[in-house]
Amino acid sequence: MPLSPAVVSELRRLLGADGLVVTPEGRMTYECDMHTFYKGTPDLVALPRTTAQVFALVRLCRRERVAVVPRGSGTGLIGGAMAPHGGLMISTTRMNEIVEIDLPNRCATVQPGLINLWLSNAVRDRGYFFAPDPSSQMVSSIGGNASTNAGGPHCLKYGVTVNHVLGLELVSGAGELLRLGGKVHDRPGYDLTGVTVGSEGTFGVVTAVTVRLLHVPEGVRTTLAAFASIEDASEAVSAIIAAGIVPAALEMLDEAVIRAINEGIHAGYPKDAAAVLLIELDGPDAEIAVHAERVAAICRDHRALEIRVAKNDAERALLWKGRKEAAGVLGRMTANWLLQDAVVPRSKLPAIMREMGAIAARQNLLIANVFHAGDGNLHPLICYDERRPGEQERAIRANEELLAACIALGGSVTGEHGVGVDKAKNLPMQYAPADLNFMARLRRAWDPDNIMNPGKLLPSHPACGEALRIGAPASIPAGAWV
Amino acid sequence: MSGALAEKLRAIVGAEHLAAGASLPVDGVTPRFVARPGSVAEVSRLLVLAHAEGLAVAPRGAGTALGLGNRPTRLDLVIALGRLNRVVEYEPADVTVSVEAGMTLDDLERALGKHRQLLPLDPPGWRARTVGGALATNASGPLRFRYGGARDALLGVRFVQADGSVTWGGAKVVKSVTGYDTPKLMTGALGTLGVIVEITLRLHPAPECERSWLLGFASLEAARGCLAALLDSALQPSRIEILNDSALAATGQPPAAAALAVSIASVDEAVRAQGAELDRLGQAAGGTRRVADDFWDLYGSFFAGAGGVRLGIACLATSVTETVATVEALASRRGLTARIGGCAGVGALTAVLEGECPVDAWEPAILTPLRERLADEGGSVIVLQCPVALKERIDVWGPIDSAALALMKRIKSEFDPKGVLNPGRFVGRI
Repeated sequence: MPLSPAVVSELRRLLGADGLVVTPEGRMTYECDMHTFYKGTPDLVALPRTTAQVFALVRLCRRERVAVVPRGSGTGLIGGAMAPHGGLMISTTRMNEIVEIDLPNRCATVQPGLINLWLSNAVRDRGYFFAPDPSSQMVSSIGGNASTNAGGPHCLKYGVTVNHVLGLELVSGAGELLRLGGKVHDRPGYDLTGVTVGSEGTFGVVTAVTVRLLHVPEGVRTTLAAFASIEDASEAVSAIIAAGIVPAALEMLDEAVIRAINEGIHAGYPKDAAAVLLIELDGPDAEIAVHAERVAAICRDHRALEIRVAKNDAERALLWKGRKEAAGVLGRMTANWLLQDAVVPRSKLPAIMREMGAIAARQNLLIANVFHAGDGNLHPLICYDERRPGEQERAIRANEELLAACIALGGSVTGEHGVGVDKAKNLPMQYAPADLNFMARLRRAWDPDNIMNPGKLLPSHPACGEALRIGAPASIPAGAWV
Repeated sequence: MSGALAEKLRAIVGAEHLAAGASLPVDGVTPRFVARPGSVAEVSRLLVLAHAEGLAVAPRGAGTALGLGNRPTRLDLVIALGRLNRVVEYEPADVTVSVEAGMTLDDLERALGKHRQLLPLDPPGWRARTVGGALATNASGPLRFRYGGARDALLGVRFVQADGSVTWGGAKVVKSVTGYDTPKLMTGALGTLGVIVEITLRLHPAPECERSWLLGFASLEAARGCLAALLDSALQPSRIEILNDSALAATGQPPAAAALAVSIASVDEAVRAQGAELDRLGQAAGGTRRVADDFWDLYGSFFAGAGGVRLGIACLATSVTETVATVEALASRRGLTARIGGCAGVGALTAVLEGECPVDAWEPAILTPLRERLADEGGSVIVLQCPVALKERIDVWGPIDSAALALMKRIKSEFDPKGVLNPGRFVGRI
């Protein structure tokens, strides 16, 4: 719905001249998130600085029945922070202050636009950190992390974002300013904080987040183990978990990824390996020492070619650099890609990796893997070149076959990236109509007029699909994170 | 039992699983019937019937926390879930388990223990409690410090809505963001949005070695200092509980004004090393003492008993000792004894108050001043259990932010507009 000149003037009064992006070139910057496949330019972009401004914006949009699309740093991978139906985008990038750090109560309150890593940087020298660490953490916002319930390598031990969010301040689609939860852990009533995390901006616009901070562990040890086959590496992962060891992170990279990062950023991963595990143990030094020995023994039992332990912070950083930048580096080597984020039960890792090999062979495509093996969260990058006839269709087929295989093994459609417009159509694979109906009604309680981020998260959304412009698949942006 | 309704209920669960309500009152209110369904399908059919007939239904697990909530104003049918007590799916290598809601935590512990795995949900008296009941009441215990609360353990949930719709939310894997996090909404909802029938839980490896210590203090102030130092250290305790003098006396330990009970779990070498560090911290307290492993069951039992008035108090970790002192002072002014304990690192306390106090005095003398003291920091006081005569005169849940409550009411009316599920018992008489 186009915005009348009177409404635009009202918005300008509210935000000031520099608080509103109106030009087509300016708005184009906001047409997609990192899933550039899906494009939709907002009619206007608001850059509020205060909760009061966000409150006024949402109420104005409700009055005018204008769609509201919240956006953090735009690093999502799901077609979430984009405007398929136009409307007003509310960017939180200017709301990026730390409101309070309360170390004795081990928590902090931040504005939603604060960059994830900035929070850990602000408290690390006092011995604390913010645990959720999506690979995008140097640029993604904590508000965005909360909206998508972001994960990250260290979520294996520490849990995903929702386990670290104590409270939220948000303006709901119904135009209420809600203060949910807070520094005190328990509060009578429904856990509205918990159910809002991961709601992808369909309940409201988050204006502040209270998060837990954890004490930095006594020690950390990062080990790289190289294997001659992906099966050996997968079985080693299952064996480590089955042995009762919970590493802080347990990541897998396959041959294609190892090659890409060795060529791209010279991380020095073993050249002849078909799979590499990155195993990080943290906690009390005495515990690490015992567990590290056991992990090494398990890797040897699974025919590890090489086991390398980072001797210092620099070596550790280099091992992680390869992992964190893998997707971006790989993207420079393929014309196009599709990314999957499905999850399988951990014991099914060897089975799904065999299946993945079969799918890649059947569709005659390269599928590169760099993912959170410890919790069964896959990130296959299906590589193709749209200029070659039939390749894109085969990539889409491979993607669908893979997702179906994960669900058949008892898995989930998405582990940490979220649903957005990208996976809304896949929800019926995991949920029956009654389950989806429950979610749709829940959404209605928060957003009775259906103004909040329409077209996202649920498949049967009334507005879904109509104005969605699906652009040609683009190359992976350099520096995307998975 | 006769009548058309009894006939319909019998047709669903069978005559042997339907009883008159007199055997299982809720807060002194006698339901007309108690049904014990043997399957999810039977729960669904019971709710279809209840919905059609406009009945008021209370779900029941083991009945240990049935005193939580406002006194029922209407109650026709108790759905007792004890027969839904099976393990649905358990693949130890996945470190997750799916169970029916009526399984006790004790039975679950036995099933998991064979594979050296653990569900760290240990509210007072946990062995007798059901998994579904613990989640519906958001129960937690000392292990919450390390592992998080009920909401952190729950991955997936199957529940039956007020109209009988069998609904699933969440996933059976440890990581999923597919759709809304329905399990969070069901945790602590007291069955007002659906009857929980099946639960998928995240498990943890059972620690190889665990030891526990008690640190006694001459004053609450001394306990506060030691607690702050402990929380700011690199130690990774599983439990940090605070006990006031009455709670300590009940456990049969040497007297002190207050104590911290701490457990550390890991491999043997790490427990030793951290135990030494804890000893060093405890020097300021006059030393640490090892306590036996069964200390924790004993400790929990002192807060699970039926007597007295039991309060659930939420406060900041930094105000735990001050809150204990406030409760002690308010209680002693009324001649009550207060047994207080709880998770010091999280700020989740339980207080059991015993003695003679007129029912009209509780609100003005205890609850209101305590709630006012905690209001600024966002704390709260829930009356977990009390005599029926008292419950009629107090606000069980305490004040709730009005905007949040309005939303909670919209959610409730979206899913249960007829008020079938536990009507009136939850916050704001939801």
